Amino acid sequence: VRCQLSPPQRPLQASAVLRRVSGEQKKEPLASSSQQQFDSHPTDHQPEQEPQGPRPSYTGQGGQESEDYESEEQLQHRILTAALEFVPEHGWTAEAIAEGAKTLGLSVAAAGMFHSDGSELILHFVSQCNAKLAEQLEQEQKLVQLGEAEKKPTDQFLRDAVEARLRMLIPYIEKWPQALSILLLPHNIPSSLNLLTSMIDDIWHYAGDQSTDFNWYTRRAVLTGVYNTTELVMMQDSSPDFEETWRFLENRVADAMNMGNTANQVQSTGEAVVQGLMGAAVTVSNAETIRAVR
Amino acid sequence: AAAGRCPCRVLLARRGGALRALCGSVRGLAAGPETHFGFQTVTEAERREKIYQVFESVAKKYDVMNDSMTLGIHRVWKDILMHKMNPSPGTLLLDVAGGTGDIAFRFINYVRSVQERQLQRKLKHHQNLSWQEISASYQEDKFKSLGDSQVVVCDINKEMLKVGKQKAQHLGYSEGLSWVLGNAEELPFDDDKFDVYTIAFGIRNVTRIDLALQEAYRVLKPGGRFLCLEFSHVSNPLLSRLYDLYSFQVIPVLGEVIAGDWKSYQYLVESIRRFPPQEELKAMIEDAGFLKVDYQNLNLGIVAIHSGFKL
Repeated sequence: VRCQLSPPQRPLQASAVLRRVSGEQKKEPLASSSQQQFDSHPTDHQPEQEPQGPRPSYTGQGGQESEDYESEEQLQHRILTAALEFVPEHGWTAEAIAEGAKTLGLSVAAAGMFHSDGSELILHFVSQCNAKLAEQLEQEQKLVQLGEAEKKPTDQFLRDAVEARLRMLIPYIEKWPQALSILLLPHNIPSSLNLLTSMIDDIWHYAGDQSTDFNWYTRRAVLTGVYNTTELVMMQDSSPDFEETWRFLENRVADAMNMGNTANQVQSTGEAVVQGLMGAAVTVSNAETIRAVR
Repeated sequence: AAAGRCPCRVLLARRGGALRALCGSVRGLAAGPETHFGFQTVTEAERREKIYQVFESVAKKYDVMNDSMTLGIHRVWKDILMHKMNPSPGTLLLDVAGGTGDIAFRFINYVRSVQERQLQRKLKHHQNLSWQEISASYQEDKFKSLGDSQVVVCDINKEMLKVGKQKAQHLGYSEGLSWVLGNAEELPFDDDKFDVYTIAFGIRNVTRIDLALQEAYRVLKPGGRFLCLEFSHVSNPLLSRLYDLYSFQVIPVLGEVIAGDWKSYQYLVESIRRFPPQEELKAMIEDAGFLKVDYQNLNLGIVAIHSGFKL
């Protein structure tokens, strides 16, 4: 483990960008000192409060540049959030990220921190939307619990949740097909799938799903299908305020509700068919036996 | 190679020893602490002098030798560096130890092509505009094919800069390019000026690498990027043996045949062996204050690109 004493001029310069981030975090208590990578964050970037503090060691348990791990991530989030307003013009690209970095007062070269195909920007946007959705659903649930609103029937709830989530895409709808194709790239599939499944899970959770059997999987699979198809319809929908998309969504959710009944019907039909086949097989084998015996 | 190495080493070591005895009594003055020049031990001042002489003598044949020693692969390495940088129009680049301008020219080409692509995209969007609007947009795009991008080539050696300027004239690069004589350990630029700082195959020749890294940190804007392309250590044992064989047997010979200068290329090969390996250089870059420092090995470690951000 190496301990480094920084040359005096560095901390002031280093904290020029990151101090703004730590400013929001000043109230955070210092993490336990056994975790070197996290406690270094508050001590390092408030030099005016700890003038004698040397720059903490770089080698934490996890590796060498984890020293400013928290604030680097936060800075990256800030850059990506700032970059979103340039997406309609530049698309989901490194250029949009560079413009975003510029608005924060950073050099355009800061876009080099991210992958050049813009995938981090898209994933950041998707996770932001999911968080907003979860918050919205939480608020609605609170209202219902307080008795200020009525509890919606399941199909209505699902429709509203999916619609709310898809509406968040409207400002970026022109470039969204590009984003979808980037999310399908092999190296992005794990993250994008993760975000999708957790969003669907959130919706079902707030819809009041408490199933613990196979239904858990079928419900989520069905809703994922509904969401994906509605998203695709939305891409090429040119009706005013996407009316066609919402109508499509309504039909699909209704189908999904009916599927429960259909499943039972299919099962009984299936049983009937199997019985019929068994009967036929027995008849045929009897007929053969009789013929053979004759 | 052993025969070629020993006499030079012995001679210079003896001279170095005599000097060292002299300097022992005046330690702390201009001569400075001891460091290495290839496999020899010299003082810092001597090292700077020697390296200056090396590059003074190889300047004219620098590009030719690069091509013959690396079989042209150095072009690919420099292209990869440029792709990694992915500069957008409006980037201000400082290329230190950039001597003959390879990185600078690639930068200009890259930014030009990005600019053209952006222009094409804009024009596609302009299909439905009136004639007045279209002519207005043509006027504003006409001035610089380079946008606001600029590259400053800084080198400590006058001869290398001279060769670089001649090349630029020959290849037709004029706008957005400037040539400055300067020392990487003490750059003649203000703070917070540049978007990207590159040093390709130059940091090996800097005597105080830590000072150069600190200077790099100083002249970069917040958010700016440090990129270093340099020979590094090969961990694969088989490749390492072949590489050593090639380095010590073939390269000095090429140096003698093509450039008439065995010693300079002997120094080159030795200096590669003396240069810190990837992880150590990464630590030094972090010490200078850079964040998100990372490296990428090219050709299994023969060359490595280190990248850091001033955050």
